[in-house]
Amino acid sequence: MGELSFAEDVKQLAYGDGAVLRGEGILAITKALLQSGVSYVGGYPGAPVSYLIDVLADANEPVLKPLGIYFEQSGSEAAAAALLGASINYPMRGAVTWKSVVGTNVASDALSHVASAGVIGGALIVIGEDYGEGASILQERTHSTALKSSVPLLDPRNSLESFARFAEEGFGLSEACNEPVFFSIRIRACHMRGTLRCKDNVRPRISMLSPLTAPSFSLERINLPPFTYQMEARKFETRLPAARRYIVEHRLNEHFPGDEAHVGIVMQGGLWNTTLRGLHVLGVADTRGRTPVPLLVLNAIHPLVPEELIAFMRGKRRLLVVEEGMPNYIERELGALAHDAKLDIEIHGKDVFSPHGEYVPQLVIGGLRRFLVEAGLASQSAAAIDARHHALNAHREAVGAVLPQPVAKRPPSFCTGCPERPVFSAMKILREREPEIGDTHVSADIGCSTFSTQAPFNVGNSVLGYGMGLASSSAVAPLFGRRVVSVMGDGGFWHNGLTNGVANAMGNKQDSVLVILDNFYAAATGQHHVPSTGTNARREPVAMTILDALRGLGVPWIRTVNSYRIAEVMKTLREALTTRVPGLKVIIARNECMLERQRREKPRARKALAAGEEVVQPRFGVDPDVCTGDHSCMRLNGCPSLTLRDNPDPLRDDPVAHVDDTCVGCGVCGEVAHAAVLCPSFYEVKVVENPSRWTRVLAGARRAVIRRLAAVPV
Amino acid sequence: MSDPRVLSVLIPAVGGQGGGVLLDWVVDAALLDGYPAHGTSIPGVAQRTGSTTYYIELCDARDAEPPVFSLYPVPGALDVLLAAEFLEVGRMIELGFPSPARTTIVASTHRLYSIHEKIVTGRGIYPSEDLQRAARAFSRALYAFDALALAREHGTEANAVLLGALAAAGALPIRADAFREAIRRKGVQVGANLRGFDAGLAAAQRLTSASAAPAPLTVAAGRPAAATDTDAARLTAGFPAELRPVLGQAIERLTEYQNGAYVERYLARLRPFVALDDPTLLGLLARSLAVWMTYEDAIRVAQLKTRWSRFERIRREQGVTRGEIVVTDYLKPDLDEIWGILPRRLVAPFARWAERRWPRGRPTLGQHVRTTTVTGYLRVWLLTLLRPLRPISYRAHEEHARMERWLAAVARCAAWDRPLAREVARAAQLVKGYGDVRRRMTGHFDRLLGVVMRVAELEAANGGGFEAARTLAARYRTLVLQGPEGEAQAAVLADQTLAR
Repeated sequence: MGELSFAEDVKQLAYGDGAVLRGEGILAITKALLQSGVSYVGGYPGAPVSYLIDVLADANEPVLKPLGIYFEQSGSEAAAAALLGASINYPMRGAVTWKSVVGTNVASDALSHVASAGVIGGALIVIGEDYGEGASILQERTHSTALKSSVPLLDPRNSLESFARFAEEGFGLSEACNEPVFFSIRIRACHMRGTLRCKDNVRPRISMLSPLTAPSFSLERINLPPFTYQMEARKFETRLPAARRYIVEHRLNEHFPGDEAHVGIVMQGGLWNTTLRGLHVLGVADTRGRTPVPLLVLNAIHPLVPEELIAFMRGKRRLLVVEEGMPNYIERELGALAHDAKLDIEIHGKDVFSPHGEYVPQLVIGGLRRFLVEAGLASQSAAAIDARHHALNAHREAVGAVLPQPVAKRPPSFCTGCPERPVFSAMKILREREPEIGDTHVSADIGCSTFSTQAPFNVGNSVLGYGMGLASSSAVAPLFGRRVVSVMGDGGFWHNGLTNGVANAMGNKQDSVLVILDNFYAAATGQHHVPSTGTNARREPVAMTILDALRGLGVPWIRTVNSYRIAEVMKTLREALTTRVPGLKVIIARNECMLERQRREKPRARKALAAGEEVVQPRFGVDPDVCTGDHSCMRLNGCPSLTLRDNPDPLRDDPVAHVDDTCVGCGVCGEVAHAAVLCPSFYEVKVVENPSRWTRVLAGARRAVIRRLAAVPV
Repeated sequence: MSDPRVLSVLIPAVGGQGGGVLLDWVVDAALLDGYPAHGTSIPGVAQRTGSTTYYIELCDARDAEPPVFSLYPVPGALDVLLAAEFLEVGRMIELGFPSPARTTIVASTHRLYSIHEKIVTGRGIYPSEDLQRAARAFSRALYAFDALALAREHGTEANAVLLGALAAAGALPIRADAFREAIRRKGVQVGANLRGFDAGLAAAQRLTSASAAPAPLTVAAGRPAAATDTDAARLTAGFPAELRPVLGQAIERLTEYQNGAYVERYLARLRPFVALDDPTLLGLLARSLAVWMTYEDAIRVAQLKTRWSRFERIRREQGVTRGEIVVTDYLKPDLDEIWGILPRRLVAPFARWAERRWPRGRPTLGQHVRTTTVTGYLRVWLLTLLRPLRPISYRAHEEHARMERWLAAVARCAAWDRPLAREVARAAQLVKGYGDVRRRMTGHFDRLLGVVMRVAELEAANGGGFEAARTLAARYRTLVLQGPEGEAQAAVLADQTLAR
């Protein structure tokens, strides 16, 4: 499973000392886990670390199992955090991964407990910080969680060597301070390609091949008073001090001195690349990062080491802090330390950059320029810095002259052939044609289905988190004059929706409609397994179904529909919205994610074609002379393959609809045209390649008759 | 030691276009040639079918200590923009990435329209001339051609073709053979991708950067005129010569639609406007009237669906050479469309009753017809036999009455103010669609005509200056053609103008 196959890449995970691995950031991290002797790994998929789950799944048979390492794709981030519980009592290392900050939020109950009880085996949490361009979630940083739970937070420089080093150091740090450790990796760094010099993998002492023999019990590790007070005290009296010692002794933070001793820049490790590039384009650093400006690179941003920061600030007149997101803990900590130590130093950061948003080069370079010009450098004049900055930006003023109107936005949306999209077509058609029932409140959910809120559907009034669609209807349903609808994907259903959604609604007698989009995978993250996929991430069969789960909870009204049959979906929705049956009504709209299906079917068809077998491939088309170019179909469909082309009719201007060659023949355009009574322009064409003799004879006979009829002058 | 340069390549693309593979090829080729390189991309659902970017950096010194690579492109410090879609070039320019001093743009000119361009009722496509002008202005060298069309010729994807063009552009120090080797090592559709690579290389070599003119985005496909020259000359006598091509197309269309008498009727309707000596107005009317008079009733749809050339076109479009095709048509005429083709006297009372009975959406007759089978074909084809009845049909009466109202309005306005007459002529663009859509659109047309004429009359009574009527006509049409939201605004606009 998984959008990408890492089958080739994972061979490199077995590399020994001195071999050079070539691949993406997450591959280097995985290699570092193996080099650290982990006993177990797990996590919940979510961009940008979804592929870590894929790598682990692909590596399970060839690499993990032979080492006795346990791997699971956890049921949610909470389950993944709870997996770390193994390291509370037993001296074994483990690593889990999830996307942050949303995954961290889900995990936080178990996480707080692990962080309170403390660990004796190294516990590493690889968090994909989904912040900035390309993020698919709300914008918050994980820093606060690290602070409140006293979990050390690593934010290393971006290179494969650095990722591997800090993943390994993360285990050492965790064992030194008895806390789990966050290892944060940014969106673009996950797919960053580079090279890593490998070390031998380490066989874990405790593993599935050499399991534990006796349980370990200590009341001190149970989160009940009075031990909870003791745990809290330990965090600040022993654990964080131990972490600081480890950070200093192992030089996790890097100090680069320079000739311009009156200034200095403190940065998060993850912003090192951008900051150094910024200094380079302003003429203050070379391409290899050598600069006369002293730098302090914080690869560990929690806990901070006061002595280290004060030593760096001492003797400087101006300091710049490159710190993404708010609150600006590092900048404020530096300010407090400077005050306490009575240092005469000006500290800049958020004032020259921005309080919010991703620190992209544009923003960083602007802030660096302001800071450096005001600070004054011996090695580069302010005028030269300004000139370089101007040279970078001068061309931008001319953009308006050549592009007078803004370039059309292109939001992400449902793929060609997506089985979720037609359900929203049905909801929109119902809203337009039967507003008395269809124009109602819709609680949307997380996943591909969130795209329903975008053009052309604009279906979905709120999004409250993964699997929370139904729960977020709880107060709306009884206070709304029409029956309301909630939407949930199968991923969301199993993640959170079953308990917080369905059980909550059943327990509270909520009268509303729930639409579950069952496409067999967590499609948004890259077709990951859900409990109802049929197999788990280790490819073992699993026999859970959504229907059984709903029946088990006693849902009285359940219908399963083929999501591509729009008329059927509309009819079922209409029934659910108008039936006298009280309580929760659930519609399961089923069909396999088209990306996954095509990934399987395409090679099969190609093979059959090459073998000379008869292959039938459906596609859709639009008769350009029948289409009048009103584009109503586009407003109800939204398929990427349904597009426009210039009107072949020289007497008309408006472009006509057109189905391009990426069509997979799902039939939704015809279904939409039918259900919304649009036009007769759509047709399905089944192309029969390598037709059998019988197919050819029959088609030939039909053609002969039709050709004659077509030639009859009427 | 001298400081090596870092070269940067930004690849904007639409999610699902294979930008990841393109990135791998470039990075692998750079590493094969000994240049330190790295690449990044944005994972996750945020890129599904939406705008996304991939980014590559490489060091121009072989086997050197790697530089500090940036994960992000720096606006204004970009060496290559390698774009798999043309609107994305515009987006990158808007964001300030390419600069005229430094950037080589290698781009495919084909368009994947964004949803916001598609959902417009009229024409919402971003002007390609703007994109071409911008690409030229914001590059030191431009290699732009339709890489997708070239890819399809060679049975591959645009990314392989673009890789070839990148090799030809010479903006990176990587050898063409290193790119080829990277394709081989990647192991994805190697044969097809190598063919695509060589095609792209050759195409870009043919384009010197100065003459790198993007291919036209579409090919205008006019059908050859069927009517003989002498026929056309006789019929169109008295019309200005520059209108002849349009009239030729109109005559052919109307003949096929109905008969010679119908052509005469068309020309007779146009002729009074010749004397106005306003070529723009006459051209607008000639085109719109021809389209309107060939309105798509069930007979017309049947005619278009059962043409022999249609099946040939479908085979051609699907690239079928030796295979067979099975065509299923999705037809769902509603009640209006069904009795629209019956004699007016017969159905008029029912039609009035139905309008009251089903004010919103008429009953429909949905069917899936396999028009490549004999019985399926006959079901549709038999409808074409009703053509002789069309002139006395209910629909014909309605349509022609509306056309007459429109032409009368245009004539009346022409006497007042030519620009106003042109705007009223353009209103015919609103009359399109089938079933409910057409009822809604003709509703807008009627409303536009009614309100504009009332405003124009008031302005005429006040001694001319038809500014309000002109603006209203143009604005109303533009709003309706923007889509449903615009339609609501158009209605408000009409009310406001009337109130004033």
